[in-house]
Amino acid sequence: MNIVGLDALVFGVDDVADCARYLIDYGLTPVDVGPEGGRFEGLDGTAILLARRDDPSLPPPLPTASTLRKTIYGVADAATLDAIAAELGRDRAVRWLADGSLETVDDLGFALGFRVTTPRPLSFTAEAANAPGVSAQRPVNALGVDTNAPPPKPRSLSHVVYFVPDVAKAEAFYADRLGFVTTDRFTKVGPFMRPAGCRDHHTLFMIQTPPFLQGCEHFTFHMGGPTEVLAAGRRMVELGYQSFWGPGRHIFGSNWFWYFNSPFGCHVEYDADMDHHDAEWVAREAEAGADSSQVFLFQARELWFPSGPPPAKTA
Amino acid sequence: MDDVPLCRMDELPPNGARGFDPLGEGRDALFIVRRGDTLRAYRNRCPHWPGAPMAWRKDGYLSPDGGHIVCYAHGARFDIDTGDCVQGPCPGQSLQSLPLIRRADGLLLVPRDALDLRTAS
Ligand code: FES
Ligand SMILES: [Fe+2]
Repeated sequence: MNIVGLDALVFGVDDVADCARYLIDYGLTPVDVGPEGGRFEGLDGTAILLARRDDPSLPPPLPTASTLRKTIYGVADAATLDAIAAELGRDRAVRWLADGSLETVDDLGFALGFRVTTPRPLSFTAEAANAPGVSAQRPVNALGVDTNAPPPKPRSLSHVVYFVPDVAKAEAFYADRLGFVTTDRFTKVGPFMRPAGCRDHHTLFMIQTPPFLQGCEHFTFHMGGPTEVLAAGRRMVELGYQSFWGPGRHIFGSNWFWYFNSPFGCHVEYDADMDHHDAEWVAREAEAGADSSQVFLFQARELWFPSGPPPAKTA
Repeated sequence: MDDVPLCRMDELPPNGARGFDPLGEGRDALFIVRRGDTLRAYRNRCPHWPGAPMAWRKDGYLSPDGGHIVCYAHGARFDIDTGDCVQGPCPGQSLQSLPLIRRADGLLLVPRDALDLRTAS
């Protein structure tokens, strides 16, 4: 199954205006957005789709507080779409929607969509670092920090994380029915998975939880590098948003991370510099815990200048 | 034991929440929910996950309709009066409530020993 990655996540919420403001502050670009919601795109066109909770066009909600209503995957071509329709149509309803996409559910009840993907090709450089021992990555006189640059923008929808009540059943569905590959695993917690057409360490991670918690734990867009993760996250802090975890760097996937609370009732993350894998990769397994989930963790603080003359007295 | 001043009653939204960082720890240690003349104060720590901060933005502790306290980490909902979890990841658990001192001049304080900030997280 040539599934190439996440194309969009659909949320149904009570407070469309708060969620829209949040996604714009996070750095996504609003497209056709109004009081009923709309589309919020990363630079390559992958997106968060926002709607009112009672929007009749959305698939039914999970029987929990989760606001995630559908996960839409991009596939390479129409033949893949037909193959998915045939495979999943064997034991569940699969609907063709007017926009040419497929809609169905996974074995845990998460609504799924599939569409032939059309991400815009991106032609940016990744963050370039000069280092002794390698030829210079930035041309001479090119600056690593540009204080006049606009805030960094999320480039591409990276991954979604589910709380699931039966992680073995969920992993089997994505592996056996959709051809996902497990890249690494936290023992008794769940697998990191990537679809066959994607080299990213994970587009899906699943966490075993009690049934009443089923839903979305977080979603993430890729940034251009660690500096962009830190700069974008610091901007969120300045805008008054609540940091939850980070900045830091994960071990499985090696991605830099910074998580924030959100009005979606799940976390929203920035990530950068995730590992790529192919069929040669052998999945690792570790007990989940603080030591295994990050190589380092920092916490934002206010800017400070512990140098120069002492600050003028203001009495 | 000295008491820690938070704000004056008239500096709270009439129906809403406000967070406080009285010891300058870089994030809110507690929040107050005011509904008219009724006040409730809770520690900004979700029972679902030790130490988890709850708001989604500064002072964003309530549901959109103002009817519940919400932890915007994973969506747990809490009764405003009791602090009990009514929906979400931590059923049977409650927010940790804090006593408030309301002075005649309108100043609100929290007893320092109740706050116990350094050992609480
Ligand atoms: S930490 Fe509050 S709901 Fe999970
Ligand atoms: Fe993540």
